[in-house]
Amino acid sequence: MTMREEYERRMGAIRRDFDTGGDGVAAVAARSALVDELVGRLWAAEVESDAALAKGMVVVAVGGYGRAQLFPYSDIDLLFCAEKGEGERAKDAIRRVSQSLWDCGMRVSPVARKVVECERFAADNAEFGLSLLDRRMIAGDAAVFAKLDEKVRGKMMVKDAKVLRGEIATLTKERHAKYGDTLFHLEPNIKDCPGGLRDANVCGWLRMLKGTSPSDGEEFEEAMGFLAATRCFLHYRHERDDNALDWRAQDAAAELSVGLGRGRKAGGVDPAYWMRVYFRHARAVERSLLREFESNDIVLAPLELRRVKLAATAGFRIKDGRLVLDVAAGTDPAAEPEIVLAMFAAMAKTGARLDAESEERIGASIPRLSANLEEGPGLWRRLSAILTGERAGVALRAMHALGLLELILPEFHGIDALVIRDAYHRYTVDEHTFVVIDTLHGLEADPGKDAPDWRVKFGSMLRELQNPGLLYLAALLHDTGKGRAGDHHAVESARMAKGVLARLEMDAYDAALVLRLIEAHLEMSAALRRDIFDADTVRGFAGRVQTHELLRMLTLFTYADIQAVHPDALTPWKAENLWRLSMNAANQLDRNVDEERVHMGGKDERIVRVLALLPGAQKEAERFLEGFPERYLKTRPPEAIRQHFEMTTKFDEEPFQIVFQHGASMSEITLVTRDRPRLFAGMAAALAAWGMNVVTADAYANAAGVVVDSFRFTDTFRTLELNVSERERFVASVRDLVAGKTSVEKMLSGRRRAKRKAPRVTVTTKIDFDETASSHSTLMQVVAQDVPGLLRAMSVTLSALGHNVEVALVDTEGETAIDVFYLTHDRHQLSEAQETELSAALLEAIAENAR
Amino acid sequence: MQKIEAVIQPSKLDAVKDALVELGVLGITIFEVRGHGRQKGHTEFYRGREYAVDLLPKIKLELVVTEEMAEKAIQAIIGAARTGRIGDGKIFVSKIDEAIRIRNDERGEIAL
Repeated sequence: MTMREEYERRMGAIRRDFDTGGDGVAAVAARSALVDELVGRLWAAEVESDAALAKGMVVVAVGGYGRAQLFPYSDIDLLFCAEKGEGERAKDAIRRVSQSLWDCGMRVSPVARKVVECERFAADNAEFGLSLLDRRMIAGDAAVFAKLDEKVRGKMMVKDAKVLRGEIATLTKERHAKYGDTLFHLEPNIKDCPGGLRDANVCGWLRMLKGTSPSDGEEFEEAMGFLAATRCFLHYRHERDDNALDWRAQDAAAELSVGLGRGRKAGGVDPAYWMRVYFRHARAVERSLLREFESNDIVLAPLELRRVKLAATAGFRIKDGRLVLDVAAGTDPAAEPEIVLAMFAAMAKTGARLDAESEERIGASIPRLSANLEEGPGLWRRLSAILTGERAGVALRAMHALGLLELILPEFHGIDALVIRDAYHRYTVDEHTFVVIDTLHGLEADPGKDAPDWRVKFGSMLRELQNPGLLYLAALLHDTGKGRAGDHHAVESARMAKGVLARLEMDAYDAALVLRLIEAHLEMSAALRRDIFDADTVRGFAGRVQTHELLRMLTLFTYADIQAVHPDALTPWKAENLWRLSMNAANQLDRNVDEERVHMGGKDERIVRVLALLPGAQKEAERFLEGFPERYLKTRPPEAIRQHFEMTTKFDEEPFQIVFQHGASMSEITLVTRDRPRLFAGMAAALAAWGMNVVTADAYANAAGVVVDSFRFTDTFRTLELNVSERERFVASVRDLVAGKTSVEKMLSGRRRAKRKAPRVTVTTKIDFDETASSHSTLMQVVAQDVPGLLRAMSVTLSALGHNVEVALVDTEGETAIDVFYLTHDRHQLSEAQETELSAALLEAIAENAR
Repeated sequence: MQKIEAVIQPSKLDAVKDALVELGVLGITIFEVRGHGRQKGHTEFYRGREYAVDLLPKIKLELVVTEEMAEKAIQAIIGAARTGRIGDGKIFVSKIDEAIRIRNDERGEIAL
């Protein structure tokens, strides 16, 4: 029998054993032993023909072969090591041994070196240096091996230990970056992906450099067993050293229960379950790697620890770049949700990771955390602090791995390591979610001076969001519906999100925004597949979005959602189209409000929903809705519209009906009354007098002359937050002003002016008129620097010139106010002369207010 | 053999691709491009700022087909991409001297 025949026969036996028992660790050890035997025999034959080779030469297995882990189609790394100059004499022998192994069908990588050449680690040949860490004598002069071992152990691993560690860290980081720094790939490469076998090797090297055991406990060994079995399976399946776990391979592995050991089930297991087992093991390897990095002072992400200032009572501290839980005599901080969540908020802010002990303590405290967790606004505040931290992805992944994220949001459970097979996505659903959040935070970075318009605009859109936490929360929940059956995951995700929002007791306006964003998260992508310059496409899309706030969030979300599918999914071409669609839709939003009015007789679903809430007052409610801009109906929840209607039934008691809702970050006041001059101006003036900064506002009227004016504002001096009793006085004074019981001048005489900071961006005032947007009113858009009192200054000017505000849409983007008014004068559009006069008066009023 | 280059509306890509596949066209190369034809650019205003829209997004397809297939492919593209409005795009046709399959050096129509 030739050596090739023998090798093939015995390799066949190893395979049969693997097919029967599924033991990957045994298979790689068996192949390694077989190759040892053949190499030994070949070298012995060489020594027999040239006795001089018996001294001064040793054949050494290095790399994976050195670890005695030869996967079925792995290369065989052999080092022919000479004590001094024996290598030259052994050249032919080395060639013949290598040739024979090649002839057997093995891929051999032979290297010839002198011992002295192995004592220093050369960064330019890092692969060889690292392979020497795993060295094993196969044949030859044991004294030479002892010298080699001494050189590597006594010199390279001591003198060059720092360089070696640095090189290992660099190579690992580069490899991880190639795989998007995540182990959650839909089709992972089980050798090179984070959490793969290469990472397990890295753990072994780092432990070896420290002189500790190469193993890292039971969890690690189990993971090694699973990965070894899976890699053997892939090699046999692909008949080469191909470690890609593609979908077909996943199905086949699940069918054979590869790696499940004693848990192997006849007929196999569900592929989704099998992949979850894979991810669990990969996580174990990743955890082990992070622990090793930590104990070797290798930092994965640059830290910005200065960003966090911790009180002595925080319950945790930052030590050597790691977040460390305090050890308290009484209550364990690890079981205190407030402390733990604050710790993750610090992680989200800095990127600093937990030290291993704190991680273990939190992991063990999950049941106690669950018992101590209080939901409601406090939880939302803490979750929001995590979501809005620049390194939120780091914190969320860590929370997810510990089970803490699922504790807060059980809705996330269904998408844990969930593989959804399609031709586009690269990551599991949970990881895709985290990448969306990473991508959004990536927009916070300086885009650079050569960045295209869209990149600059998306960056400023994100920075200018009034409440970015809402966008991040929607991003976190947008795909939770994928864990449930059904074809419409956006609808399902929104349904699941309702429960979350209720538990967080979120403000109704904010909750509606989050829900709408989740529900509509695919609509912009869908619109992008149509002609984005076609008026109908833009009108249709804008009609579904309705507000600038939602449009901005949806634009940013769509950008991140496409980008998170895989690194090349968002081409500059697509990003530019997204920006164009956003711009066209924004223009559309401002220009069609006055024309599109509610008319009874149709079967608009929203009208039906409002009427359903008012069973005894159908006719009156229909009269109330008739003639409002459709925007009113589309942007208000039915419950709010019912409330507005009910307010109209109390006009006899009080003609100026006001509803006020105080919020921690934003408050809202709505006036419902019969139309009369100066209403909008009165509201704006009252808010300015109280030092409130209007962020958005709208004013609508119906066919019967009932107006609904709403203002959302921030409380500059925290007057209403700090003095609850002032809230009633605030509402009363607004009512007095719009009712004409007190004058604007009187109220403004006591007005406090906030100290104005110098603006970061200077906005030049720009006023445009458009007579074509509406058949009976003139559209005026004012873009100006957003300063307190701006809206008051403008609306008072409009009233003074006798212009009536039919519809108002007030919006703020960072330091830019963009206000749109549909104006009439004596029920007609404005004349050219009136526009000129108004423009001049407004420029003067805005300049005066800014002084 | 003929090379067909077609510049079409992005929204028509799926329809054109389906029509060509149905016809039996085996290979298509697709590019995301920007450009303008006779219809020159215009200016858009967005919240007080002016933006030039001089180059519109288009998709460019490239396919090489046999002489016999060329006219059918052209008709399939026209049928799927036409809306009758300005901006539907253009098709350019040119002769191809040789096609070579890199894998096995096959030449001529068999390499398509």
